[in-house]
Amino acid sequence: MVSALRSVLRVTVPSTTDEDRLRRIEFVTDSALAHLDVKDLLDELLDRVRSLLGVDTAAVLLFDASATHLVATAARGIEEEVRQGVRIPLGQGFAGRIAAERRPVIIEQVDHSNVLNPILREKAIRSLLGVPLVIEGTVLGVLHVGTLTPRRFTEADTHLLQLVADRVALVTRTHQSDVDRAAAEALQHSLMPGTLPQIAGLELTARYVPGQAGGLGGDWYDVFTLPSGRVGVVMGDVVGRGFQAAVVMGRLRSALRAFAREEDDPAEVLERLDGNVQHFEDNVMATVLYAVFEPSLDQVMLTVAGHLPPVLAVPGDAGRLLQLPVDLPVGVSVGPPRRTTVIDLPPGSLLFLYTDGLVERRGRSLDEGLDRLCGAVRAVDIETTCTTVMSRMVGAEPVADDVAVLVAHRAEASEAAPLYLVLPAVLRSLAEVRSALRRWLASVGATPDDVTDILVAVGEACSNVVEHAYGPGGGNLMLHAERGEDQVTVTVWDNGRWRSARGENRGRGTTLMQQCSDAVDVTAGPHGTTVRMQRHLSGETR
Amino acid sequence: MTTATVKASTQGPAVAITIIGEIDLENAEAVEEQLSGAIDNQATSVTIDLADLTYLDSAGLRLMFALAARLEVLQIDLTVQAPPRSPARRVLELSGFANAAAIEG
Repeated sequence: MVSALRSVLRVTVPSTTDEDRLRRIEFVTDSALAHLDVKDLLDELLDRVRSLLGVDTAAVLLFDASATHLVATAARGIEEEVRQGVRIPLGQGFAGRIAAERRPVIIEQVDHSNVLNPILREKAIRSLLGVPLVIEGTVLGVLHVGTLTPRRFTEADTHLLQLVADRVALVTRTHQSDVDRAAAEALQHSLMPGTLPQIAGLELTARYVPGQAGGLGGDWYDVFTLPSGRVGVVMGDVVGRGFQAAVVMGRLRSALRAFAREEDDPAEVLERLDGNVQHFEDNVMATVLYAVFEPSLDQVMLTVAGHLPPVLAVPGDAGRLLQLPVDLPVGVSVGPPRRTTVIDLPPGSLLFLYTDGLVERRGRSLDEGLDRLCGAVRAVDIETTCTTVMSRMVGAEPVADDVAVLVAHRAEASEAAPLYLVLPAVLRSLAEVRSALRRWLASVGATPDDVTDILVAVGEACSNVVEHAYGPGGGNLMLHAERGEDQVTVTVWDNGRWRSARGENRGRGTTLMQQCSDAVDVTAGPHGTTVRMQRHLSGETR
Repeated sequence: MTTATVKASTQGPAVAITIIGEIDLENAEAVEEQLSGAIDNQATSVTIDLADLTYLDSAGLRLMFALAARLEVLQIDLTVQAPPRSPARRVLELSGFANAAAIEG
């Protein structure tokens, strides 16, 4: 049956004339194929190859990420190859030889000595012709065809197959770089904080501009609050580009966050990140700047792993580079212990973090770039600062490397605005309330004793909302805190209907709330409950 | 997320426990289980160090009172260490915990 079919096909494949060759070329470069997606396009090309050459099987194998094995990617007449995920080591077997030697290989009589893949033998394929998929001097994989009856492949057959292979290589390369770019972009997008956390007294903004060199790099920034009320800010740059760098960046970001929750000292956090990278990552290097703002925002602890120093601008002055000890990048080797530097952050001052893409330009020294940056950074509104810096440093010129920028501006002392929070009424919000409240209380001059009492009183009110206000559908917990002359008023409310407490040993909360406040006022109605607490400030200096 | 680390060491019949972090409604039950697991039946005295506990609320108090009551039945001495002006000391004092177990500075 198969040979009958082939003889029919033979008839439709006339002898090789110039006109015929042209027709064949058109057959595989047909622009109507352009709208197909890659998988369908490969399948269609393989089908056309089968009919053009009068062969029974056709398959494309591409290198895997390690570039040491070929993986069956598309196949016609021999679909098992793809379904079974056939992997052929470079240099071995029929396909492995083609890829290693970068030239066509013909096997007229298939046997165990020249074919590694059992599927080719089980299918009883008798003759094989294969060509490398080469683009810009790089081998991407192999295209091969086979027949179930002995066949002597001619030079014209090889030539035609190579023509198809070039088309397949082009499609594959375009697709691979599209996928790589799209994946890196998606990853970058999902990892960069879309909106930065709202932090009372600290304005934040960031920019990320991909470089022109193609593909995204491994630049990242991050901002997170810590249970202690401190705020962590990260600027980092993984060496490398594209999808791989973005993946590594994602892992580093997660690991750093995890260590930040466990360690207060920034140097210790990077020390542990470094240990993690050296143990788990292969050949990864990254520069990182990690800064931790005290809850009061009066001071910032910084540690630098091979990264460029941040610029600090105090009101009325030009920015200046912070003179910080610079330790080794992460992932390099075991070095001397990392160091943390504490700097003062006066009210109204601005901290500017960036990656080297902002200041490094061909034909300009790094110092020139840094000088220009310092001249552009002022302790003014964050959006203005960002816009000014980007316009002076980047302007209209294409920048080869990625640029990431993060600006943190501490509010003037007089601006101690009320704190307003809306959070889901769930258990995990309790820690978030304390973190935000610790920062806010520090900014309004509360003493540690004041903080202890206010946290407990407010914590009890919030626990009540979480436990009693809403049914399984849930709802929100609202909090407003403001400073009066010498006292703080915190209001906690919900839109639910309280049910009575369940379980034993409860009821201590209300007592504690009253003991820790000077006055507590509870208003319960059908549309929600409001608890208003007042507590004096001790008035001692911190 | 609220986290507390419970570290326990046993020397003969004496169990020394340190709790670092915060305790609220979210993790009180988990902390209670860890405490129960750390105290075996051979113990005659338990010390709980709360010097590095930065937050304790009524959910935490509940577990402390429950633990004190259970240890009293088992005739195991309980001492709680909380330095003056520490967050835990303040809440323990306000709640009258001194009636349930000794509080040391």
